[in-house]
Order: sequence, then structure tokens, then C-alpha cells
Amino acid sequence: MTSRKLLSEAKLWLVAIPVLLWTLIPIYHIFLFSISTKDSAFSGRLWPKQPTLHNFVTVFNQDHFYLHHFWSQIWNSLWIAVATGVITLAIATCAAFAISRLKVRGGRTVMNAALFTYFIPAAFLAVPMYKAMGTYGLLNSRWSLVLAMVTIASPYAIWVLKQASDKLPWELDEAARIDGATPAQLFRLVYLPLMVPSLVAIFTYALLLAWNEYLYAFLLLSHENTIPLAVGLGHFLSSDDSPWELLMATALIYGLPPAAIYYAFRRYMVGGLTSGAVKS
Amino acid sequence: MASVSFSQIQKSFGKTPVLHGISLDIADGEFMVLVGPSGCGKSTLLRMLAGLEDITAGSIAIDGRVVNELDSKDRDIAMVFQSYALYPHMTVRENMGFSLRLREEKRNLIEERVAAAAKILNLGPYLDRYPRELSGGQRQRVAMGRAIVRDPKVFLFDEPLSNLDAKLRVAMRSEIKALHQRLKTTTVYVTHDQVEAMTMADRIAVMNEGRIEQLGRPLELYDRPANLFVAQFIGSPAMNVFDGAVKGGAVEALGARWPASFSKSGGLEGQRVKYGVRPEHLEPASSGIAAEIVVVEPMGAETELVVKVGDTSLIVMTRGRSTAGPGDRIFLAPDPAHAHLFDAASGLRI
Amino acid sequence: MSAIAIPHPPLAPKRGLSTWQTWGLILLAPYVLVFLVFVLYPVSYGLWLARHPESYKTLFEDPVFFTTVINTIFFLLVAVNLKFILALYLSGFFVHERRWIRWLSVIFIIPWAVPAIPTVYSIRFMLNPEWGVVNSLLFRWFQIDGPNWLTDPQLAMAMAMLVHIWKALPFWTLILMAGRLAIPKELYEAASVDGASAWQKFKYVTWPSMRTLYVTSTLLSLIWTLGDFNSVYLLTGGQPADKTHVLATLGIRYIRLDQLDHAMATIVVALPFVLPMVYFMMKRLSGDEQKTS
Repeated sequence: MTSRKLLSEAKLWLVAIPVLLWTLIPIYHIFLFSISTKDSAFSGRLWPKQPTLHNFVTVFNQDHFYLHHFWSQIWNSLWIAVATGVITLAIATCAAFAISRLKVRGGRTVMNAALFTYFIPAAFLAVPMYKAMGTYGLLNSRWSLVLAMVTIASPYAIWVLKQASDKLPWELDEAARIDGATPAQLFRLVYLPLMVPSLVAIFTYALLLAWNEYLYAFLLLSHENTIPLAVGLGHFLSSDDSPWELLMATALIYGLPPAAIYYAFRRYMVGGLTSGAVKS
Repeated sequence: MASVSFSQIQKSFGKTPVLHGISLDIADGEFMVLVGPSGCGKSTLLRMLAGLEDITAGSIAIDGRVVNELDSKDRDIAMVFQSYALYPHMTVRENMGFSLRLREEKRNLIEERVAAAAKILNLGPYLDRYPRELSGGQRQRVAMGRAIVRDPKVFLFDEPLSNLDAKLRVAMRSEIKALHQRLKTTTVYVTHDQVEAMTMADRIAVMNEGRIEQLGRPLELYDRPANLFVAQFIGSPAMNVFDGAVKGGAVEALGARWPASFSKSGGLEGQRVKYGVRPEHLEPASSGIAAEIVVVEPMGAETELVVKVGDTSLIVMTRGRSTAGPGDRIFLAPDPAHAHLFDAASGLRI
Repeated sequence: MSAIAIPHPPLAPKRGLSTWQTWGLILLAPYVLVFLVFVLYPVSYGLWLARHPESYKTLFEDPVFFTTVINTIFFLLVAVNLKFILALYLSGFFVHERRWIRWLSVIFIIPWAVPAIPTVYSIRFMLNPEWGVVNSLLFRWFQIDGPNWLTDPQLAMAMAMLVHIWKALPFWTLILMAGRLAIPKELYEAASVDGASAWQKFKYVTWPSMRTLYVTSTLLSLIWTLGDFNSVYLLTGGQPADKTHVLATLGIRYIRLDQLDHAMATIVVALPFVLPMVYFMMKRLSGDEQKTS
């Protein structure tokens, strides 16, 4: 390697190392505490003297006041995330097909309405949504969070799916019509199979959005049987002597699935989710 | 098998009219080619027949039955698209059998029909491949196979060869023609390529700006173009056309006298005309109209010369080889029997 | 032209188009329902709740509100711009074609992919003045007592911005990266041949192609950052003494106090800024559509 090349390579590392530290320190901090005992947790070491999995055992056994509902909370999180993913996918796929392929009258208006929802800051929509869920009598039902998350996730889902649909050749629909396909058959036999990559991306997007959501969860759900893990974690800070090592262990368990799912479907996510954004 | 009849078809996109009352009858088993420059409305006309576009006014009948209000699938037609429009997620077999599957035909009937079509088109070895694994020509054949399997009343082709390279296009041209001779299914074929039109059609409808300029057999159009547009559109290289005036039984143009044979009606003395003559009817001779050679393009069997008469470039096609070079002076002797005269104002044949 | 007289028996009209339109409407209906029930009705009702001038009067008289507005403005201006300058710079770093940089970009995405709670709590914990790792290390290495990161309102706001940037930076870097990758390589090669320096390449090639994307993204991020509840709430909870609220957390605080009309009023106050930007963004995306279709 010439010295000039070496220099430019060194410049890259000069950026890379701070980026790596900046990204990983808060995450490593979680990990560090989750494998430390309560006593050694505050020693300021970069690796505990005696790493332990005891914190996880405590969490799984629900052996602490804050953890009494751990499994039920995880179940709620999962239930809400999957329900949001499925419903968002169904609603958004149908809408995108109607707008993009069937060119339904009023489709443009609906798309604009969806985009409007997409751009409104989520925390702003939360206030009226909270009130409305109360009116509908859905507060404290897991459905309230599912429906709220579907409301938040579908606009972007429709937008991305519409963009992907628009790229399918129009002649395919015409060929199918001439071949004798009804709209339902076109949808099922031609459209859905061709859209699979985008559908995977959208399902994952909605799933992660719902699993990760905190604000709506803690606004809409407060009954201990319905709260998801995110809200359960929030409860840890209600007193001053929080068991931080348990909080961090639980947080790690909560944070791992979305990270894993994201990396498993990254191939679909990155292309699918940034395409819409870059166009603008 | 069926006849197709367009009667007074009009089409507007928004307020823009694109077809101005087209009437055209296609006989049972006929191979009809719609040809014209892009934007002339030929594809729109075909798509209206396919049921992919609304009909603004007029009516379309297949086998005597008006199909205006009929959905595509109920018109009993099959269409081959320019982009082939094969379903990417289906194998060749599934692509070809799709229409029958939608009709809920029996499995073995589908198998049988697909196999028969595959045999005709030599697609047997590719039945389990996906479209992305096929070459352009193979995809083209699958698209045709998909049409054959249905055994429709009418085949529609929308510029099916324009995505192929030149050599393949010629091969597919004869394949489609052979197929038609074998199946005798009424065919409507849209192209912008006049060579395709000439070589394949029973009859050609030359379209321009939403109207049919001329309808007839290929050589009829070539020999007796009804107007200037058809004259210049049909034939390659294109007909030489220039301005002139009738004078004493001939046409005075480019500072020379061009022989012409007038029908009994046309050719008033002093009338402004367009004089047209095809390159192969402008052979060099020992005497006649003086011209200067600008470019010589030998093509083997014949030689194309670009010559100048006055300031106007003309194309001359001679059989065999030519020893002439740029700058040489030659004489042109146009054959009056092959001279075409058009009225300068209306463009109509005299 | 042959004029064969073909009888045209009229058929029972069967509107093909309208079956397809009907299907379109049926398929569109679920989302329309969701929009009406969970967006249009709640928002209309909320605006109706916020119609009383008294709500605004009490709101403006609340000292917390004034602090919050200042905080929000600072948060938006500083956090969004800092984030985008970093994202623009890092997008240039991540487009280098090296295997290890691809790996780094995979790691870099983590903050965006994982939920907010664990990481924000982790940072909150690190910043604890008594036993957080930051002050521990400051003391061990430099023998100084670190500041009260989260109990000094100004420092706490700065930390909230840091959290926001930590979480949102990867996404916007990714977007700007895609923008950079869309620039034809030939332009850079031509610039190199013409003897352009790295800065000149940025100025004459990169920036002109990225400007629109950069501005659009910044606007979008501005709207979304206004709605960033987590970064502030999970870090400071608005404390100390409600001095670190932004509009998003203040609205929620009023809900917790059961003052829904105040909560709505808080949001309505921001609408004059939000709606023009939303309108602009919608126009952008719809305009794009017309070009592509």
C-alpha cells in the first residue's frame, strides 16, 4: 500500500472508531449491567469481576416486585405486535392494490389523507386518539393499542406498497384481464405473489413499530393484565431504589427480538423502506 | 374464428380526440395489419377491441355481436403484448395454462392444450422454466403460446416484435405468419414497421392521426398509394417526392421535365403537384435528367445512390453493382408507368 | 372497403369497468374506515375540545408552557440541524466501498432498530450524577466531580438532544446515503479528471444533487422531531420542576393531569407551524407521483 492510500485509509478509521463507540456504548452499558451482580454493577469496570446470568434467571422466574407480570407482558407485546402487523398488512395491501392497480376513483384523495396522517407527529395524534379510545370504550383493551398502531403504521405502509405496485408492469393486469381474471383473482394470483418482498418489509415494519411503541402503550393501557413489556419497563422508574441490573436484563430481553427480526429481514427492509423516501 | 367489425369508432382521452370515426371490417380468418407512425391511434384501436379502453362512440362487433359493453374476458380474444406481459412468478406451463385455469377447466384438458401449443411453438423443453430464464425470442413464443392455448376467436398482436433484435424479428415474422396459415384464426396485428406490415398482412390499414389513410392488400398500397402519406410511409427506402407543376403531358420539377402518365381525370395544365417515384424506378440511363452522385452505398445485390438534381437529394436504387463514384454525372430516366402524382394541396393521388 | 352489413344485436349492458371500480372501493374501505374512526373523528373532536379561548389563556399563563416553547424551539433548531450535518457527513463516509464499512453500517443501524426504552434508560443511568458511569470515570480519571447532567435543566435538554440524535441519526444517514448512491459515478470521475478537490467535488457534484433531498428530509425530520416524546420523557420525565418539557411531553402531561382541553390547546398552538410543513410535504410527494405516472 502506498503512503497516500494508507493515509486515506487512516482517515476512514478516524471516523469509524468514534462512530462505533458512539453507537455501542449505550448498548454495551445495558449488556454490562445485565450480567453484573447488584454489588459489582456500580464499580465502574468495563467487564464485571464475576459475570453472571443470575439477573436473567430472576427475570424469567418473575422473582421481583417489578417483574411479577413479566411473561404476561411479553405475551401482550407479542400479541399486539403480531396483530398490528397482520392487520396493517391486510389493510395496506388492499388499499395499495385499489389505488395503484384498480385506479379506484377517490384513490388519490385517500392517499393524501394517508400521507397527512403519516406526517402528523405521532405524539400530537396521541392526545385526540386517547380521548377517542375512551369514547369507544377501548381503553385498557389490547385492541386499543393495536388499532392505534394500525392507524399510525398503515399510511406509510400504503405509500410504500403503492410505490412498489406502481413499478409492476401495467400489461400484466391487462393480460390477466384478457385471460379472464376477476379483480379478486388478479389480486390473489398475480398481485400478491409479485409483491412478496414488499409485503415482508411492511409486515416487519408494522410489527417492530408496535413492539417498540412506548407512548401510545402507556397512554392507552394501564391495567396490569393488558400492558406490554414497554410499559412494564417504564414502571421500574416509579421509585428511587430501582433494581437497575434487573431493569437492564429485562431491557435486553425486550430489545433483542426487534434487533434480530430487523437483521433477519434487513434485505427487504432497507430497499423497501428507503425507496419511497429517496424519491422525494 | 370470427369476423371483426369496427363501425364509426371514436375515442378521446379527456378532451383530446385520438380516433375520428374509424370503420373497418375484418373478414373471418384474415390477417389484418394496422400500421402507422406512433401516436396514430393504431394501438388504441386494438386496445378498444381487446376491451382495455372505453369506446367513446361507435361500436365494435366480433362475429356480428356488439362487444362494447363486454368485459375483456367475455370477448373471446387473446392478446400478445409488446412487453410479452408474462407472469414472472409462473412457469411457462403455468403462464400458458393460466386462462384455462381461470375458466376452471379440467386439469388434463389444460395439460393437453398446453402440450399441443408447446409443440407447435417448440417450447417443449422450456415448460418448467420461468420467464426470466428465457431468451427474448422464447418469451415471445410463450406469449404466443398463451394466446394459442385459449383457441380464441381473434388474435391481437400489439407490436409483438419490437423488443427483439433485427435477426430474430425476421425469424419470428415468418413464424407468426406460418402460425396464422396453420390456425387460420382472425388476426389483428399492430406495428409501426411497414416491412412487417408488407410481409405479413393479408390486408393493411395505414393509419395516421386517428384516421385510416388507405386500406388494401400490401402490393396495392405499394403500387397505387392513395395519397402522399401512404406513398411516403410504405416502401423502404422511401419514395422520392418533390414539388412540380403539370406542363404539356409531363411534370416540370427541379429544372427538368419528368415523364408522367395521366389518368383521364387528373393533370390540369399548370396544376401544382407532388411528383413521386420510388428509388428502384429511377435507374440510371444513357440519357434523361442530369444528376450528380453524392454518395454510393453498395449493398451487394443492389446499390443505393444518393444523387442531386438541382439542390434536391434523391435516392436511386440500381440492380447489381455500380462503378460510379461520388462527383460522377449520370442521367435518370424515370418510368412514366411508375410515376406517382399527387395534388400539392390535398395530397391525394391524381 | 367491403361493406358487409353485419347485424349488431344489442347485448344486455354489462359494465366491466364498474365491477373493477366496485372491487376497488371494497378494498379501499378498510383503510378509509380506519382513517375516519381513528384520525378524522378524534382530530375533529379534539379541535372542538380546544375551541375555548380560556384554555389558551390558562395555557399562556402557565409558566411551564413558556419554558416548554423555548425548549421546543431550541430542541428543533439544534437537534435537527446537528443531526443532519452529521448524517450528511457520515453518509459520505458510509458510501466508501469497503467490506468493513458495510459491517460498520450494519452495527450503526442498531439504535434505530431497537426500541427506545432500553437504550434511553441506559443513557439515563450512565448520566446519573452519583453512581452513573460517566461521572465515575470523570472522577477516576480526572478527579473532578461531574455535573448534574439531568438535574440541571439546560444540561438535561442538551442530553435529550443527544439521545434524540443517537436514535434518529442512523435512519437519516441511510436516507442521505441512498441519495448519494443515486448520483452517477461518472460525475465524480469527470470531476477528478478536471482536477477537483474533495471539497470541490462535494460543492459542485454532491450538494447540487442532494440539496432537494436534504431540505425535504430536514423538513420531515423537523415535523417528526416535534413529536419526539421518548427522548425527553424517558430521559428526564420533564423534571426537574417541569423545566425540560417539549410540546410533545407537555401535551401528554396535561392528559395525565386530566386536562384534555389544555392538552389539545398545546397541540393547536403548534399547528400554525406544523400544517404548512405537512402541506408542503404532501405536495412534494403528490407532485412526484404525477411525474412518475
